[in-house]
Amino acid sequence: MIFLHLLTVQNGGIKRSSLEVLSRGRELVDSICKSSGDSAELHAVVCSPEVAGWDAAKWSAEIGAYNVDKVWSATDEAFKEHNNQALLSAVQSAHTQATGDGTKHSVIAMASTEGVKDILGALSMRLGASVIADVSEFEISAENDGIQLNATRPVMASKAQTKVQATANHVMVSVRSGSYGIIDQAALGSDGDYDANTISHQHVSIEHTDSKLHTQIREIITAAADTIDLNEAEAIVAAGRGVKDETAKALIDELADLLNAGIGASRALTEAGVYDPSMQIGQTGKVVSPQLYIAVGISGAIQHVAGITNSKVIVAVNKDADAPIFEVADYGIVGDLYEVLPALIAEIKRRKG
Amino acid sequence: MKIFVSIKMVPDVSAPMQIKNDELIMDLDRAVLNAYDASAVEEALVLKEAHGGEVVVVSVGLAKAAETLRKALAMGADSAVLISTENVEATVGMDSSSFAKVLAAYFSKQSYDALFFGKQSQDTDAGLTGSMVAELLVIPYVSNAVGISREASGGFLVKRQGDSGQEMVAAGAGCLITCSNDMNEPRIPKLKGIMASKKKPLDVLSLSDLGVSEGDVAPKTRITAYRDIPARQAGQKFSEGAAEDAGWVAEILEKNDLLS
Ligand SMILES: Cc1cc2nc3c(=O)[nH]c(=O)nc-3n(C[C@H](O)[C@H](O)[C@H](O)COP(=O)(O)OP(=O)(O)OC[C@H]3O[C@@H](n4cnc5c(N)ncnc54)[C@H](O)[C@@H]3O)c2cc1C
Ligand SMILES: Nc1ncnc2c1ncn2[C@@H]1O[C@H](COP(=O)(O)O)[C@@H](O)[C@H]1O
Repeated sequence: MIFLHLLTVQNGGIKRSSLEVLSRGRELVDSICKSSGDSAELHAVVCSPEVAGWDAAKWSAEIGAYNVDKVWSATDEAFKEHNNQALLSAVQSAHTQATGDGTKHSVIAMASTEGVKDILGALSMRLGASVIADVSEFEISAENDGIQLNATRPVMASKAQTKVQATANHVMVSVRSGSYGIIDQAALGSDGDYDANTISHQHVSIEHTDSKLHTQIREIITAAADTIDLNEAEAIVAAGRGVKDETAKALIDELADLLNAGIGASRALTEAGVYDPSMQIGQTGKVVSPQLYIAVGISGAIQHVAGITNSKVIVAVNKDADAPIFEVADYGIVGDLYEVLPALIAEIKRRKG
Repeated sequence: MKIFVSIKMVPDVSAPMQIKNDELIMDLDRAVLNAYDASAVEEALVLKEAHGGEVVVVSVGLAKAAETLRKALAMGADSAVLISTENVEATVGMDSSSFAKVLAAYFSKQSYDALFFGKQSQDTDAGLTGSMVAELLVIPYVSNAVGISREASGGFLVKRQGDSGQEMVAAGAGCLITCSNDMNEPRIPKLKGIMASKKKPLDVLSLSDLGVSEGDVAPKTRITAYRDIPARQAGQKFSEGAAEDAGWVAEILEKNDLLS
């Protein structure tokens, strides 16, 4: 059995959500080897535009602790930007080789990023795999007739969850951020000091299919370069419709700055153009999993809450004592944000010295 | 210009629901047009108004999905196609891959400038059907669109919400685009539209009309149980006045090591 993970690389580093899935893969592969004596291997696919080629030292430092049995790397200009056909082709090539043309059974697991959501359905059809999207937990077991995947996933705007099962030769899964912890590098290996030469690696090439299939990126409109990636953020301050003017926005900025937090927003504000659409948190927006989430002037509609329940601690500031956000908040302050935020900022400044 | 929009009838997530013996109990008559699909219909109508052409809405489902098609016709779509699963045994458990196979079988026999889909079903958030259909039809696709315009070449320029920023992606004619509800505010049908919708064509096809067998649509995934979401506990609420409340909360955050 092959457990294949597509690494999500952003700004040169591997995203936390991707390492979470790799950690889960290591755990599952080890337990299958131990319990059934079946051979199971952990493989990773890396797509990068670097013409310099494979950099063993770099990747050993990044994923050495996970004892990845094999890394498949695709290096192509097409990966300078998100390109669904190039990604599909890279994963397909790696999968074909890793499984010996599909003869070995496989699990293909990825982090639920926008890039992965873009290819998940198409990839499942291309590989003839069964797919379960956006799970919060998953187990696998090797069966005679393939691999059985059992997963848990939220549905109905996270008002309920389902247990879902798929049994097939090849099964795919995408995983919500914050669902699994990251393996402690130090606990696994010898102080993160890995031998760059031992990581087994092979190039895969992508197929440049006829141009008819290709889409072309003309331009990328990025949010301010220095903003913190909400998927990775340890702390988030999120603004809702209660944040009405520049004064309130400035308070949000100041609080976020103090806590080194990313800034998020409800749909009410991204729709109104007050904040960038990439900052939206919730069912349409992002699912986040910070240690601290501070919701300011957000009512707590189910579609917003759907994106924040993986947060460790939720704090809410809202002037309406009956706002539904208080039903999910660990700590709620009932009050006007124009009074509460300055007080909170002053209090945090005092404590931080 | 001819645009097909795939639309789905989904249970209303805001309706009361309850889970008993692993099953979800809710009033399934309270079904609505998937919000993301409503945005896809709206966008197709805006393009039609600007460039002329035709908008056809398509749904795979039970006979009552016709209500959803009528709603899209009332918004302004020109005609509708219901691919009925009324007598199909697997109909209850059909998943994205089942629907994708039916839709691909239908679209493979049509000619079109673009196929619009919702980016996901709002009840399951699967988000799979669109790119599955594109793969089956071997056509280019762009997902998570927040804006679409038509180009002089006949192709489309799509603003797509990516992981960090927005990408302006050009896709040739004959592409598939999945739409976010961040794209627009779907129009509410007016009385005139509702009256007109009753006279618009709504064709009903069966799977065998498309050469699709029951085996082809057998789901690849199976829901074995519904469960309650482990609820977050409502915590402590402070309402003694801004300064005092802020003091309490800051102290708690400091104790929990959350102020760094
Ligand atoms: C399919 C679908 C997907 C959706 N996806 C998302 C999503 O991804 N993310 C999302 O956020 N929403 C989403 N929504 C929209 C969601 O249903 C709500 O409409 C939205 O979250 C409301 O935003 P809000 O809480 O900021 O605004 P409101 O609901 O208007 O709440 C504003 C709150 O601010 C408080 N307030 C006002 N002034 C002050 C003040 N001075 N001090 C303190 N408090 C104050 C009010 O008491 C109120 O509780 C989706 C909806 C649908 C149908
Ligand atoms: N039964 C169906 N009939 C028509 N369109 C569908 C159907 N199921 C899914 N779709 C389309 O596919 C999109 C994504 O669905 P899903 O994969 O369920 O999230 C929806 O927003 C619809 O546009």
